[in-house]
Amino acid sequence: MILAVAFLNYSFAAEAITAVEIVGKANQASYYQAEDGKAEVRMVITDSLGRTRERVMVILRKDASEGDQQKYYVYFNKPSDVKGMTYLVWKKPGADDDRWMYLPALDLVRRIAAGDKRSSFVGSNFAYEDISGRGTEEDEHTLLGEEEGQYKIKSVPKNPGSVEFSYFLIWVDKVTFMPKKAELYDKSGNLYKILEALEIKEVQGFPTVTKMKATDLVSGGNTVSEFSNIEYDIGLDEKIFTERSLRRPPRKYIKG
Amino acid sequence: MFKKIIEFSVNKPKIIMAIVIAMVVLSVAQFPGIKIDTDPENMLSEKEFVRIFHHEVKREFGLYDYIVLGIVNEAHQDGVFNPETLEKVHRITEEIKKIEGVIAYELMSPSTKDDIEQGGIGTVRFKWLMDRPPYSFEAARKIRERAMENPMFYGTIVSEDGKAVAVYVPIKAKNLSYKISGEIKKITGAITGDEEYYIAGLPVAEDTFGFEMFKQMAISAPLAMLIIFVLMLGFFKNVRLVTAPLMLAGATVLIAMGALMAAGQTVHIMSSMIPIFLMPIAVLDSVHILSEFFDKYRETHDRKKAILVTVEDLFKPMLFTSLTTTAGFLSLAFTPIPPVQVFGIFIAVGVMMAWVLTMTFIPAVISLMSKESLKDFGIKKEMSAGLMDRFLVSLGRFSVYRWKAILIAALAVVAISGYGITKININDNPVKWFTPGHEIRIADEVLNEHFGGTYTAYLVMEAENKKEEIFKTPEMLRYVESLQDHLKSLRQVGKTTSLADVTKKVYYELLGGDKKNDIIPATKQAIAQCLISFQNSHKPDDLWHFTTPDYSKVNIWVQLKSGDNVDMSMVRDEVARYLQNNPPPREIKTNWAGLTYINVVWQSRMVGGMLKSFMGSFIIVFFMMTFLFRSPLKGLVSMIPLTVTILFIYSLLGFTGRNYDMPVAILSALTLGLSVDFAIHFLQRSREIYSEFGSWKLTAQKMFQEPGRAILRNALIISIGFLPLLAAPLMPYKTVGVFMFLIMLVSSVATLVLLPAIITGLEKPFFKGGRN
Repeated sequence: MILAVAFLNYSFAAEAITAVEIVGKANQASYYQAEDGKAEVRMVITDSLGRTRERVMVILRKDASEGDQQKYYVYFNKPSDVKGMTYLVWKKPGADDDRWMYLPALDLVRRIAAGDKRSSFVGSNFAYEDISGRGTEEDEHTLLGEEEGQYKIKSVPKNPGSVEFSYFLIWVDKVTFMPKKAELYDKSGNLYKILEALEIKEVQGFPTVTKMKATDLVSGGNTVSEFSNIEYDIGLDEKIFTERSLRRPPRKYIKG
Repeated sequence: MFKKIIEFSVNKPKIIMAIVIAMVVLSVAQFPGIKIDTDPENMLSEKEFVRIFHHEVKREFGLYDYIVLGIVNEAHQDGVFNPETLEKVHRITEEIKKIEGVIAYELMSPSTKDDIEQGGIGTVRFKWLMDRPPYSFEAARKIRERAMENPMFYGTIVSEDGKAVAVYVPIKAKNLSYKISGEIKKITGAITGDEEYYIAGLPVAEDTFGFEMFKQMAISAPLAMLIIFVLMLGFFKNVRLVTAPLMLAGATVLIAMGALMAAGQTVHIMSSMIPIFLMPIAVLDSVHILSEFFDKYRETHDRKKAILVTVEDLFKPMLFTSLTTTAGFLSLAFTPIPPVQVFGIFIAVGVMMAWVLTMTFIPAVISLMSKESLKDFGIKKEMSAGLMDRFLVSLGRFSVYRWKAILIAALAVVAISGYGITKININDNPVKWFTPGHEIRIADEVLNEHFGGTYTAYLVMEAENKKEEIFKTPEMLRYVESLQDHLKSLRQVGKTTSLADVTKKVYYELLGGDKKNDIIPATKQAIAQCLISFQNSHKPDDLWHFTTPDYSKVNIWVQLKSGDNVDMSMVRDEVARYLQNNPPPREIKTNWAGLTYINVVWQSRMVGGMLKSFMGSFIIVFFMMTFLFRSPLKGLVSMIPLTVTILFIYSLLGFTGRNYDMPVAILSALTLGLSVDFAIHFLQRSREIYSEFGSWKLTAQKMFQEPGRAILRNALIISIGFLPLLAAPLMPYKTVGVFMFLIMLVSSVATLVLLPAIITGLEKPFFKGGRN
């Protein structure tokens, strides 16, 4: 029996692709298409009572010329009383991200302390990490098998104290390497959160998630994000991704 | 017709026995279908506005009923803020989350709360207050520091003196409180150390009370029965005969409870008191019969004849005492409180049942007894008969000859009682249904000393114009803030928390943590941006405990240090006055929710309803008396002992400062029903005897023989029989015990002293045309 399992594991390894490779490719496919990109995002947050809230924002992204570092710039259009609010994220896989926010009504730039990336993204059911991606090196990945043309992978955090889940399962398309679904399990092993790619479209030749959903099984709420006006390789200026432009948003890109 | 039935009972006692046994069996067969309801919220109809609103508020703001677990460390110099205690807090929290019926997600504990703090220059940080136990004293002190900086924590989950933390355990249903608090005790019981653990909160108090109420019923009722048995044995010296009233009382209680369950009614804490109310009433009737029979049998030594004469003599007064008691309880059916209605109706059923059984079952038992077993009955003088007879004779003389002095004394008593009644304090608090020293009372005291208060009420404000998001405007938040300031100035309020506090906390932390910025931001945009920043935390949904996503409503959490209804009422009135004097900048509606407030609503219903039903039954009893005695004057006179009794007993509440609460309120019906009994017996027998002798003096002499003995025996049996209730750990039982004692004492004195005095004064008009 033990031998058979060992052999099975070996055969997967021999099959040319490992769980780590799949996760790596999935990460590239979801967060690193092209050199830069822009999208308009409409988030609808629905709570367990069916009450909804809306967030509309523009997200700009630029990858570093080398390595996995990325920079994100987020500009809020709605709700109207937070219009002009901006976020800046310097994503540094393997280290703590740098995050800033700007609140126009307070005319205040604040850094958000490094550390916990599991907090909510502006009240939605997405965690910060769900938006900008979780470093693939933070978990141990195991390929559990294949289901309907998707790899099924179990990822267990290397530092369990830093997250609220004990592990998550992720389904990755075998062809496009787009992650289709993730299930998060809490410390007692109960499923508590589901992330799903509801719609994937090809944009400028890149398979791109245009609609995704986060469902919180504990609170009973969910958030649906729709991406539109997606553009890749638009040659975003490095200057956009600086503290300075938090206060002075790049007019050219942020008009919804 | 009635005579025939009684003759039938005497002649065919076995059939009567069979019928009674069948009824009891049928009733007991209903018991497995028992539905128990210990929730005082059900004192109000489900359609009651405040209940609907309360549940709406709970749903809308994601609120639950909470069990409050207090963990106190007085021994350590840092209080609970040392690594060891905090580790326990963390562990206990995790364990509690696993208990079935606990809503783990909404559990409030230092280890489940997210905090916003300074993370270096120009940096804010969203961080769990204590996602893992601290390893050093310094880290523990840091947690304390942060907790004291956050208005959502101090006074609520950490005490401001640092000696206690509270874990708020939200539960799926209130009636799980007792069970869940038991499981929490198991968890804390397994932990050693300097910490002490206390469980408080209204749901636990209410559910525990319901549980103990039923338990107490199982202890008190049999105990009272036993003492009554012993006393009766002392008077009547015949075990079999004395067993009859007890069997009768037992059958009455079982049949009434069976009927209640057969009718599909739930056994509410109120109805759990039916047995303790029915027993004295049932015993009272049969003691009258036995007492009379005892005396008659002495004369005739023919048990059938003696019982027939006895029943004939007592038929009318017994019918009327039963009818008046029934009227007293039936009037409760018109109170606006469903459990009280059920209580009243089924006691009324039981009272009539007791009457029917007294008229049939007791004669049947007596006729079933062999001559042998009655051999010595009535021959041997009873235990203290000589003493009692002598006492009664002198009492009779005193009442007749000193009538003027007695009337003056009675008037004085009434006047003083009237004054006492004006001093009655209408108040209730389910926690105080437990005797001082009960663990729930102790927990209540300890936790309310450390925290802002374990009694929660929710003050909800709702915009008339829902489109405007008014609770994002600085004007409205400042209004909420100033209302909170006013609330905090009240001695009853320990702490309030609202959207204004959340906004201010986020605002000054964003601005660098300087307390000078602990204010409401100046614009709607600034408020909106603070609140959206708050939602970057781990628990963004915490915001929706304070407002709705459309910002058309806010919920101000008001923590009260006491669950006394007077305190909650005072707070409510103060808020109403504040709103009146300080009109809000936008049009809003305000309403209260929360268990503490619901208790106020049902109590005010209860007091008003009880008063009305009491007045109603008082008038009904008066008409019944007038009808019975065919004279308004006699009707009026018959009301005097009960009026004096009620005034006297209730004035004691005023003088001693005891609260007029739920148990006291329902006892008014019993007081009325029981205290009129003696007067009816006395007047009816006086009339009969007078019609024989035509002289009040002779009548009075006779009255202080058999009838007087019956009254005195009854008074002694009931008043002493219910004294063990005083040892019960629940206040309502103590109250019933005290009331029974006082009702019997005062109404027997009023009947045996005051009535003869009045009759002496009114002899002529009273017995006008009375002689055959």
